Amino acid sequence: MKNLFFIFTLIMINFNQLFAQELNIYSHRQPFLINPFLEAFTSETGIKTNVVYSTKGLAQRLQAEGENSPADVILTVDIGRLYIYEDNNLLSAIKSEILNKNIPSHLRSPKGKWYGLSKRARVIVTSKERVDINKIKNIEDLANPEWKGRICSRPGSHVYNRALMSSIIAAHGIESAEKWAKSLVNNLARRPQGNDRAQVKAIFEGQCDISIINNYYFGKLKFSEDPIQREWAESVNLIFPNQGENERGAHVNISGGGVAKHSQNKEYAIKLLEFLSGQKAQNLYGEINFEYPANINIEPSDELKSWGVPREDKLPIIRIATLAPEAQKIIDRVGW
Amino acid sequence: MVEASIIRENSFNLKINFWVIGTWITSAILIAPILTLFITASGDSEGLWKHLFETVLAKYIYNTILLMLGVSILALLIGVLSAWIISRYNFFGKKYFDWLLMLPIACPAYLVAYAYTDFFEYAGPIQGYLRNIFNWNSAQDYWFPEIRSLGGAIFVMSFVLYPYVYVLARTAFIKSPSSFYEIASIYNKNQFYNVALPIARPAIFAGLALVCMEVISDFGTVEFFTVETLTLGIFNVWLGMNNLAAAAQISIIAFIFVISLIFIEIKSRSNKRFSNTSQNQRNMKSINLNFNAQILCILFCLTPSIIGFFLPVFLLISHALKTSYHQDWIEMIFIIRNTVFCSFFGALSIVIIGSLMALVSFYKGSRYLKNFVAIASTGYAFPGTMLSIGVLVFCGFFDKLFTLGSKYIFGLSQNGLISGTIIILLIAYIVRFQAVGFGAIRSGITQIPLNLMDASQSMGKSFKESLFVVIFPLLKTYVLAGGLLAFVDIMKELPMTILLRPFNFETLATYAYQFAHDELIEQAALPALLIIFAGLIPVIFLNKFLRESKF
Repeated sequence: MKNLFFIFTLIMINFNQLFAQELNIYSHRQPFLINPFLEAFTSETGIKTNVVYSTKGLAQRLQAEGENSPADVILTVDIGRLYIYEDNNLLSAIKSEILNKNIPSHLRSPKGKWYGLSKRARVIVTSKERVDINKIKNIEDLANPEWKGRICSRPGSHVYNRALMSSIIAAHGIESAEKWAKSLVNNLARRPQGNDRAQVKAIFEGQCDISIINNYYFGKLKFSEDPIQREWAESVNLIFPNQGENERGAHVNISGGGVAKHSQNKEYAIKLLEFLSGQKAQNLYGEINFEYPANINIEPSDELKSWGVPREDKLPIIRIATLAPEAQKIIDRVGW
Repeated sequence: MVEASIIRENSFNLKINFWVIGTWITSAILIAPILTLFITASGDSEGLWKHLFETVLAKYIYNTILLMLGVSILALLIGVLSAWIISRYNFFGKKYFDWLLMLPIACPAYLVAYAYTDFFEYAGPIQGYLRNIFNWNSAQDYWFPEIRSLGGAIFVMSFVLYPYVYVLARTAFIKSPSSFYEIASIYNKNQFYNVALPIARPAIFAGLALVCMEVISDFGTVEFFTVETLTLGIFNVWLGMNNLAAAAQISIIAFIFVISLIFIEIKSRSNKRFSNTSQNQRNMKSINLNFNAQILCILFCLTPSIIGFFLPVFLLISHALKTSYHQDWIEMIFIIRNTVFCSFFGALSIVIIGSLMALVSFYKGSRYLKNFVAIASTGYAFPGTMLSIGVLVFCGFFDKLFTLGSKYIFGLSQNGLISGTIIILLIAYIVRFQAVGFGAIRSGITQIPLNLMDASQSMGKSFKESLFVVIFPLLKTYVLAGGLLAFVDIMKELPMTILLRPFNFETLATYAYQFAHDELIEQAALPALLIIFAGLIPVIFLNKFLRESKF
């Protein structure tokens, strides 16, 4: 028994070694997506990084840990999650010439508390065989009764759809947005289910003809190891919605980051954010995950450009987060 | 000589003593995170309830009740009947089926859900095959049950969770003395209904309670199948509407719901107790069967293990073979080390604490302590993520006290003590899975004749000596069963591990999740298989113990 506890203590100590030259990151992004960035950062700066990844609850963890928290940097996908940190006063306002120069103002916190680092567009995919590409121009067109029984969707309460809903509330107001959502639900071919990948699969299989996905899923399928998944991508057209002259542009969401309020290492933390907004990392976002650079001075990857580069909705991204509760209510009401 | 005795309320002299105080304190620590959730729930829900009542609440409750009911019925049927067949009858390959039936416990429900979705959905091989044979062209041409549905969730969860009932029912059946059955046959009573079920009832319900709590706290499966249960609602309210207070309120409703069910069960049997006063006698004898009956038994015992284990494992293997994703095996060894480490120390703590709480409260506890101890093992009924928030807040508070203390008393400036370490993870495991160890041990105590403790103490042994020398050896099987169930549970555990873990700390479950979350089933398949195979080790031990245990 004594030995057991001795071993226990040994291993525990091993886990607890935290050195000053290291940067501690709470990440909502999966390790296999974030590691290439961190490796590049470490090899450039010599600063080692430690990561905890979780999709949910890291804001509560940071809050509960308070001043004792070891976290320095927060990295998230989706503006909603990023905003929760600001809303609960868990981030410190930072001043960085580099970040302000790289990231346009509609993609960062007005108070300097968080910065968008990459963009993803919510796009429409349609069956190449069964849908005339000229019939769908805007996200609003999906409410058209013509598409009854032909649209597939992931559940409305998923963050990506909730953010889309927010963008529609911002554009048309609550009432019209709800009307749109109701019509969309009426057009569904099946109960909302699966992730964005599964929607493309359903179109390929002929269960439905139209869906809404994040643009990078198209790239992931197109370059999948699995030949069948490549066929799924082959079977659909990609439509960037709301591109017309008087239209607002496609809804985009961001992945982003901020510096933890009680970080002991703010200098390094800012350095990491600056690195992620710089040329090397911005290119990586496109290469690894088919995301658009948030840095206005950097062009999307060649592959992304070959799909066409959408004009984006310039709505201050923070509005997507502040409208989210309202969006979720609509989603509950219409049963999306 | 055996008698079915009705036992009085057990009232020992209630002197304040070390054991009782220790149990009160331990229980209080375990209750603290649950209490924290209640405090969180007292926050402002910003008028959300009106919205919830008007829109989704009825749906959440309806789905939750159906899911619990469906899984309970199926798990009971499978678990109790197969345990009875294995205990009562002799048939070909019986000893193999005994452990085959336990295998599904090693499979995390959400991973089985992933595997089955791929298999049964429209694009999957089954429906594809049917379409080919019958020349159907689209989904409109035929009907096929939708796997991503309430029915699908009931199906998957029942076949993965029934072993909780099976293991405990089997233990109770093995332990029931053959003389009970002989008496029943003399009076021409049905042996299953009149003897086996009443005797095994505490054990069966301990298993069923675990199943119910597992169901109500499940997020992975219902999210994947989009079954809108209360747990899914909790997350929509918390993350979608940024309202943790309302989310905590919903989770408390779900919690109270499960706890009242369990409480009703306990009350309804509190004044009935069958206990076997003499241990020196034969256990139940098995009956030999004819050929046809043997085939029936084999089929009945084979089906659950195929659906709950072999088929999903086969599907995962075929996925794992499809990918050329390069596995870093060195990394994998560290991940396995972490997993085993957490599970072992978690299960060990649970067994120690569970034994302490069960034994002390039973033999020395006042009614208040008994209730308090029971409340302390209800953490299982909360969704893991919610419970981890309770644990975080509680440990955060502790850390703040510690930091303040070390600053003022020793002049040290030090960061927290528990937050972000493996300790907080172990605390969380104990709070959540206490029910598993406690339930098993508690149901074991009910099988021990009460007069043993009396006898031992009247012979001048102290309480401690009586516990260790007399009672504990009799409980060994139950303690082990509880410990091994806890071990497997911790190994499969995802939401708490992922949120509370230290930096750069992966377990098999968190590692599989980063891929599974993205529906990258091929990449998730290998770590998923490792979870399942590592989970088999305790299952094999468990089986060995159940078989060898005789007293």
